[in-house]
Amino acid sequence: MTTAAVAAPRRRPTPADSCDHCGQPVAGPIDGDGPRFCCVGCRIVYETLHDAGLDGYYAVRDRTAAPSLQRRPPPEIAESGFAELATAGFLDEHTVAVGDGGARRVELALDGVHCAACVWLVERLPRAVPGVLSARLDLPRARLSLVWRPDETTLPAVARRLANLGYTAHPIRADGEASGRTAAERSLLVRLAVCWALAGNVMLLSAALYSGLTLARDPLLAAGARWLCLGLTTGSLAIGGSLFFSRAWASIRFSFAARSPALSLDLPISLGLLVGYGNSVWATVSGRGEVWFDSLAVLTAAVLTARWLQLRARRLAGDATDRLLSLVPTVLRKRTADGETMLVGPEGVVPGDTVEVRGGEVVPVDGRVVAGRSHLNRAVLTGESRAEPVGVGDEVTAGATNLTSVLLLRVERAGEATRIGGLLRWVRDHSARTAPIVQLADRLSGPFVAIVLGLAALTAAVFLVVDPAEATGRVVALLVVTCPCALGMATPLAFIVATGQAARRGVFIKGEATLERLTGITTVLLDKTGTLTEGTLAVVGWWGDDDALRLAAAVESRSNHPVARAVAARWPCASSADRVEEVPGSGIVGRVEGHTVAVGRADWVRAAGDGSRWPDALAAELDRAEREAQTAVVVSVDGVPTAAVRLGDRLRPDSAALVAAWRRRGLTVGILSGDDPAVVRSLARQLGLSDGSALGSMSPEAKRDEVARRQSAGEIVLMVGDGVNDAAALQRADVGVAVHGGSAAALVAADVFLTRAGLAPLAQLLDGSGRTMATVRRNLGFSLAYNVLGAAAAMLGWVDPLVAAVAMPVSSMVVVLSSIGQRPFGSEESER
Amino acid sequence: MIVLFFLVPLALLMAAGAALAFRWAARSGQFDDSVTPAWRIVFDDDTDPPPPRV
Repeated sequence: MTTAAVAAPRRRPTPADSCDHCGQPVAGPIDGDGPRFCCVGCRIVYETLHDAGLDGYYAVRDRTAAPSLQRRPPPEIAESGFAELATAGFLDEHTVAVGDGGARRVELALDGVHCAACVWLVERLPRAVPGVLSARLDLPRARLSLVWRPDETTLPAVARRLANLGYTAHPIRADGEASGRTAAERSLLVRLAVCWALAGNVMLLSAALYSGLTLARDPLLAAGARWLCLGLTTGSLAIGGSLFFSRAWASIRFSFAARSPALSLDLPISLGLLVGYGNSVWATVSGRGEVWFDSLAVLTAAVLTARWLQLRARRLAGDATDRLLSLVPTVLRKRTADGETMLVGPEGVVPGDTVEVRGGEVVPVDGRVVAGRSHLNRAVLTGESRAEPVGVGDEVTAGATNLTSVLLLRVERAGEATRIGGLLRWVRDHSARTAPIVQLADRLSGPFVAIVLGLAALTAAVFLVVDPAEATGRVVALLVVTCPCALGMATPLAFIVATGQAARRGVFIKGEATLERLTGITTVLLDKTGTLTEGTLAVVGWWGDDDALRLAAAVESRSNHPVARAVAARWPCASSADRVEEVPGSGIVGRVEGHTVAVGRADWVRAAGDGSRWPDALAAELDRAEREAQTAVVVSVDGVPTAAVRLGDRLRPDSAALVAAWRRRGLTVGILSGDDPAVVRSLARQLGLSDGSALGSMSPEAKRDEVARRQSAGEIVLMVGDGVNDAAALQRADVGVAVHGGSAAALVAADVFLTRAGLAPLAQLLDGSGRTMATVRRNLGFSLAYNVLGAAAAMLGWVDPLVAAVAMPVSSMVVVLSSIGQRPFGSEESER
Repeated sequence: MIVLFFLVPLALLMAAGAALAFRWAARSGQFDDSVTPAWRIVFDDDTDPPPPRV
C-alpha cells in the first residue's frame, strides 16, 4: 500500500466512478487513487496493456472508436418509461396469455443489440431474472419475444435488468398493421414455395416433351404429359398468378376511375400469362399446336420471388418504426385532493388537475408550475440545448425533461391536445397517407404495354393476310416472350441488394422511391441539436489548473444539474466532497480535501469571493463563452478564483467533414435549429457555412414551412434531424433522414434512418444511391433490349416453346447477377 | 412406359406433402428470422460458471 492509499481510504463508489477499462460503473468498494475496475476481466486487460507499455490504446480508442465503446457514464435509465410497461392498459393491449399457468408473452423492440454475443446474453435472461420463462431475440429485427409470469416478476423489472446490460427495451405497437405485414409475408412465402414446386414438376414433364415425346410418336403418354402440365400450371396461376391478375385488374379500374393511364407492370405480366395459358389449354384440348406451360410456371415463380424479396426487405426497415410513439409518458402522477399521488393514464386527467413530475422524468402535459423550482430541457420541442430554470407560474410543455427536482403542474392540456401531441398526430397522419410508390419500372410499363399490343396487332394483321395458319402462333409467341419477367425483377432486386448493403453500414432505407429521389438532391438542411452536435451539455474549453478542476468535479459529482454532470464526467475525481450546499440557479459549494470549493455562475462566485481582482485569462474565457453563447462556470478554491470552464453542445467529430463533402458536390447546405440564433451562427462558422444559411429560433412548424418554401423554389431537399421538432420537416422534405438516437416520431417521419451513432454513415448515401440507380437503369435497359429482340424474333417465327423456355430464365439470370454483383455502398472489406 | 401413369402421380403426391410441410413451417413463423437461429446453434449449453477467482 502506498501513502496515497492511506490519504484516500477505502470508500464506497459514487456514480462518477467508472471502470478505467470499459467505463461501466464500479460496483465494489474502492481502494485509494489507483485505477478502478468494474470486474476482474477489465483489471486483467488493463494490466496486460499497462505492463506492455500500451497505455496509448485508451487514447486511440477514445478518439476513434464508436461512441458505444468509449468510456462513458452509465446510461441514464428513464424509470418513467418503464412504468408504462406495468399499467393494466399496456398488459391488456400488448401482451397475450401463454398456456394456462398465467404466463404472458410480450414483444419488445430492443436497442443496442449488434451480434451473436448479444443474442447469447439476452437469451440468458431466464437464468438471471426469476419469473422470466423464455427470451427469444430476433437479431435482424431487434425484437425480443419474452414469456414471463406476472405474479413472479414485472416487466419494468425485466426492462431495468436489460438496461443494466446496455439494452433499452421499447414497447411495440402490436396492432393489426405489424402482424398483418408478417402474415402477408408468410402467405407469400407459401405461395412462392408451391409455385416453385409446381414449376419444377412442369419443367420435368416439359423436358420429356421437348426431347422427343410427341403426340405423333406416343399419343397416350404425350397427351397425358400435356394434361398433367395443364393441371399443374392451372394450380400455379391460381395460387401465384392470381396476385398479378388482381393487381392488374385493380390498375385498370384505377385508370378508368382516374381517367388517366396508370398501368402497372402487373398488366403486361398478366397479359402474357393469360394469352399463353389460353393458347396452351386450347392446344391441349384440341391435341394440336404448341404448349407453353413450363415458361408460364417458371415466370410466375420467378416474379413472385422478386416480390417476396422486396416485401421482406421493406419489412425489415418498417419494423424499426413500429415503436410506440411513447415520447410523452403515458403514465402520469396525479395529485389527488387529499395530497396523495396515484398513477393514471393521459385520459385520467382533465384541465385543472395537478400532476407531479419528478427529477429525470419527462413532462406529460402542457401546464403551469404551481409549486417547485427546477431546470427543464426543452430540446425535444425547441432544439434549445441549454437547461432553462422554471419556477411557480411558468408555462411548461409536454415532452420537456425535468432535470433536477420535483415540480407540481396544473394541467392545461393533456394527451393529443398538447402541442407535441398535435405534432405527432400530424406526422402519423401524413406518414400513413404517403403517395403510393410509383416505381420506375411501373412508369415504363404504360408505353411498354402499348408497344407490345401494337406489335401484336401488327403481327396479327400481317399474317391474317399473308398466312392465316401462322397468325395465332406468332402472336402468342410474341406475347409470351415479351412478358416482362426481367423487367419486373430489375428494380426490386437492385434495390434489395443496395438497401441490404446500406443496412450493414448503419443506413436503413425505407422505400425504393427514396433511392431514386436521393439522386436529385440539391439542398441539405440539417438540424443542430443532436444532429450536428451531440445534443448533451459537455465541457468545450477551460482555463485554470488541473487540481482546482479536479476539486470542482468532486463537488459537482454530488449534484444532478446538467452542468455539474458534464464537469464531473470530464474530470473523474476519486476524492469525495462533504458539507455540499447547492444554491439553485447559482452554483454549488462544498469541502474537498480540506479546501472550500465553490463552482457556479461568475457573479455568484464573485459575490462569495474575497473581492480580489480576477486573472485576465479567466475574464477572457468568460468573454469567449459570452461570444459563443456557451454556459460558463467559475471555480474558486478557498475564495480565490482559480479556473473557468466553458460548456456547450459539442460538434460531432464527423460533422465538419460531411458538410465539406456535401459542399464540394455543389449542394446547398443549411442549418435549421430551434436554438438561439447566436449559437447557430457560431456553429455555422465552425462548419464554414455563411451566417445566412443558418437559421435559429425555428419552431417545428417554421422548419416545415422553410422546407416547403425551398421546395416551391424548385430545390429538392434532404432534411437531417433527430427530434420531434424535426419530424414535420422530415416528413415534408423530399428525403428525411433521422439520425441514430432520434425520437420515435423522427423514425416514423423519415425515409432513411441511421442505426449507428454519428453522421458518418450518411457520407456514402448520395453516391451509393446514384450507383444503385445506375444498376437499375442498366437492368431496365437490358430487359427492354431483350424484349425488343424477343418481339422481333417472335414476329419472324423463330420463337417456339423451347426457345422461350431457355431465353426467359437466361434474361432473368442476367438481371439477377447484375444486381447481386453491384457494390453501391462500397465493399465490406474496404470499410474495415 | 405405362408405369409412369402410376409413378408420376406418386411423385406429385410426395411434392404435395412437402408443400404442406412447408406451409406449416412458414405459418408457424420458422422463416421469419433467418439469422438468429444460425447463431443460436453455436452457443454452448448452459453450465454453471467456474468458481470466482481472486
